[in-house]
This record gives sequence, C-alpha cells and structure tokens, in this order.
Amino acid sequence: MIVASVIQHHLNKLRWLVLSGVFALLVLLPFLYLYQTYEAAHAYDLLPPTEKAISDSMEWLTKPFTRDPENDLNSFKGTTWSGTLYGLKLSDPLAVIGQVAATLSVYWPFALTALIPVLLTLLLGRFYCGWICPATLLYELNDNLGTWLRKAGLPVSQRRLNRRLKYLVLVVGVLLSAITGSVVFASIYPPALVGREIYYAIAVSGFGAGAVFFILTLLFDLMVARRGFCRYVCPGGALYSLLGRFRLVRIQRKVETCNDCAKCNVVCQFDLDPLHDDFGQECNNCTACIAVCPTDALSFKLTIKDQTFQGPGHLGHLYRKQQGAS
Amino acid sequence: MQRRKFLQACIASGAFSVLPPRLRAATSVPTLRFLRPPGAVSEEQFVERCIRCGKCGEACPNRCIEFFGFENGLNSRDTPYIIPREQACILCMKCGEACPSGAIQPVPREAEAIMQRVKMGHARVDEQLCLSFQGKTCGVCYRACPLQDVAIVVGRLEQPHVLGPCVGCGLCERSCIQIPQAIRVFPSQTRPA
Repeated sequence: MIVASVIQHHLNKLRWLVLSGVFALLVLLPFLYLYQTYEAAHAYDLLPPTEKAISDSMEWLTKPFTRDPENDLNSFKGTTWSGTLYGLKLSDPLAVIGQVAATLSVYWPFALTALIPVLLTLLLGRFYCGWICPATLLYELNDNLGTWLRKAGLPVSQRRLNRRLKYLVLVVGVLLSAITGSVVFASIYPPALVGREIYYAIAVSGFGAGAVFFILTLLFDLMVARRGFCRYVCPGGALYSLLGRFRLVRIQRKVETCNDCAKCNVVCQFDLDPLHDDFGQECNNCTACIAVCPTDALSFKLTIKDQTFQGPGHLGHLYRKQQGAS
Repeated sequence: MQRRKFLQACIASGAFSVLPPRLRAATSVPTLRFLRPPGAVSEEQFVERCIRCGKCGEACPNRCIEFFGFENGLNSRDTPYIIPREQACILCMKCGEACPSGAIQPVPREAEAIMQRVKMGHARVDEQLCLSFQGKTCGVCYRACPLQDVAIVVGRLEQPHVLGPCVGCGLCERSCIQIPQAIRVFPSQTRPA
C-alpha cells in the first residue's frame, strides 16, 4: 500500500519522462529518415559535412539494433497523428473521425488503426492529452513560463471560458470536413501540427504555416486562458473527454486524510476541482495533484464514477469546527 | 470603397471554400503540374482520404515527395506531391505501404502490378524540342525508363515514342538533357478521364 502511494507520487515525473521521450522520438525520426535516404543512395562520400554528421550519428545510434537500416527503420515512422511503432500502425481517433466525415464512408483498414487508442481511452480517459501528446509538453512549458511572467509582475490574463466550447469545435470541424471534403482537423490539431512541422523543418523544406498557427495557440494560452487551447478549443481533447467519460481508472480523494490545503486545485492546469471531488471527464490523468498532495489523500482508483462531494477533509480545520459544533 | 471591395473578396473566397465539391471542381482551374505518389486514388478521393500525416514522404528513399502549402488551394494543404523535373519517382512503392489512410494504395513492386494499378500520369514527347527528332541521336529518356520497351520505345535516331503502359513516374522528364525538357509527364488528375 505504501509502495503504491510512493509510486503514484512519482507518476508525474514519469509522465514528464514519457512526454519528453515522445517529443524526442518525433525529433529523432526525421533524422533517421534522412539517414535511410543516405543509405539508399549509397553515396556517403558525396554528402556535405553536415549530412555526413547526421549519417554518422544515426549510424552510431542504430548500429546495435539493425544491420539493414534502409529497410528495418521503416517500422518506425510517422507522428502521433498516425504512426508506425515496431511495425504496428497506430492512428489518432480524431484522424479517423475526420476521414469518415470527409469521405462520408468508413475505410476499415484505416479505422482499425485507431482501435487500440480508442480502447485505451475508454479505460483511462484523456490519458493521451496528459501523457503522449507532443503539444502538451510545449503547452506545459509554456504554462510554466506564464507562471514566471506572472511572478515578474506582467499582467497575464487567466480568463475562464466555457469548457463546452471544444465540443462545438469538434462538431464544427466534422461538419466542415464533410462540406469541404478534406480532413480539416489536420490543420488545427496541435499534436498533428507539432509532429508534422518538426518533420518539415528537419527533412523537407522548413516550417510551414502550421508552425505559425501553433505559436498563436501558445500566445492564446499565455495571454487569454491558462492551458486554454487544451481546455476550450482542442477537438481531440473534446473527443477523448467524450470517450473517457465512463473511464475505469480515475483519481479519487480520500476524505479521511485530506487536510483541505487546496494545493491540488492550484496545481491543476485544467482548472478542475479535486478538493471538492470534481474531476469529471476533462481530467487528463496528469497526476500533478497526486504528486503535490502532502497527506496522500489522492490516488488512482478502479471505479466508473466520480464520488459526489464528501465534505471537507477530516484533517482540515473546517471539519474540526463542524465536529465541535455537533 | 476599398474596404467594401476587401470584404467582398473575403466573402467570395469564404463562400468558395465551402462550395460543394462538384461546384468547386468546376470553378477551380488546375494550374500546377504535379504528380500524386504512385498508387494514389483519384484526385477528389485522394484529398478526402489523406489525413496529412506525412508518412509517405518519410517513407520515400528518393526524397521526391514534397508537401503543399497554400499554393494548390486550401483543400490540398499538406498533401504530398511530386514534381518530376526536380526529383522523379523511382517506383519503389514504399509510400503506398506506409500510407495508413488508403489515399495511396499499396501496390507490390512488380512490373505487372505497377502497370495495372499505378497511373500517375502519361509522358508526352515534344518533337520540336526533342534532340532525336532534330537529328541529334540522344535516347536518354528511353534509358531512364524503368519500363523500357514496354512504356517507351525508340525508333530511328533513338526517337522516343511513349506507349500506353506508361505509368507517369517522370524519370524520363527528370533525365531529359534538353532545357526545357522535351518530354513531360501530364498528370492523371489534370487529364480528362
């Protein structure tokens, strides 16, 4: 039991590790691709010095794992929008929704690549947003920057919008995809943008318009609402929230050990209310609240429903006052 | 007056982008000459199916696949294309294998299958420009063709003649030593069916 709580306390660090790992992979894959093209061309001696450096470093990286990098590296391709991992094709469910809307039909070989992510989301909720999304890493760093700016005395707005706005974005996106006959989510969905722009920047011809849009979303987060894009606009977040509504794994508060310190509410970037047992479908399992809780009152539980408000924490003064009064 | 014109242009362009596909196809004039990757489905279906993941480009060992910005219209954004004169397709068929969305169908790397199922375009020789037709024996395009004697044959003085099975990979256009090139691939999506 103690071991479990210790592990849960460090999950947030593990999450940062995973996020950084995914991001690093997205940067690495285009370089591996370049290395593949050099291998395919059999022209190492003709490469300019920078490309020789790329070729050498990638050769050093892949040498322990493969003897035929030109073909073997094909089992690692793509981005989180749609990628191949160990030869397994995985796609973002939003990409499938977008394609179904654009073509008005289901292309099963593609739809099935989203099966594993959908099942995981049904079990775990918005875990993709907290643990995998390459944009989340940048948004969280951006949010930290916002905190520093606030400390430095810059007026950083923390407006609250309506959470349901993102469901509207999802619906409008589906309709627009159907009308225009193209997957419009691909142009506004941050993880798709981030993955693609990294690839463009390294292996094609530099950043495209998607990078500009992404920077605008960073500014939106900084100037308008904290983590605003994820919370109010992201169509993927909307989809995952809906899918994860009846998730099986969720964070719950143990009222007996809670002391009402409200650190969990402060640390939650999604502005949820763990102190009052209100996690809802928006929680992205980032576990920041578990990590910050001084009394181990928050932990993951296997349950399909959030608890209704259990009253003030038993270690808090509010509860003691109530007890004294009764 | 200026502002009104600007607003009208905005509304017109806005209305244009939400027109139903059929109307849009009728109103848009294809001006760019580009090829879709080998195994691509018909242009309209391609734009619908493609999810812009970029995996075809990441699979291409020849680095011939590039991606549109805004130059071919909003709907083509981030879709893959090939400009054969810059870098032509070597028909390795890896993009079809990589494509998750079905926009590029997987085709086995065999001559029969490729001739049947790949139709990127069709090469055409400009006899006014072609050196062989001007009495200077050349034949470079013939030698560059991966489907030699099937898709292209040469006659007297190595004069090239493109035949029906040409799949439009563009290696002939890439290799042509004349400037501008005397052999060009005309893309399937701009040819009347």
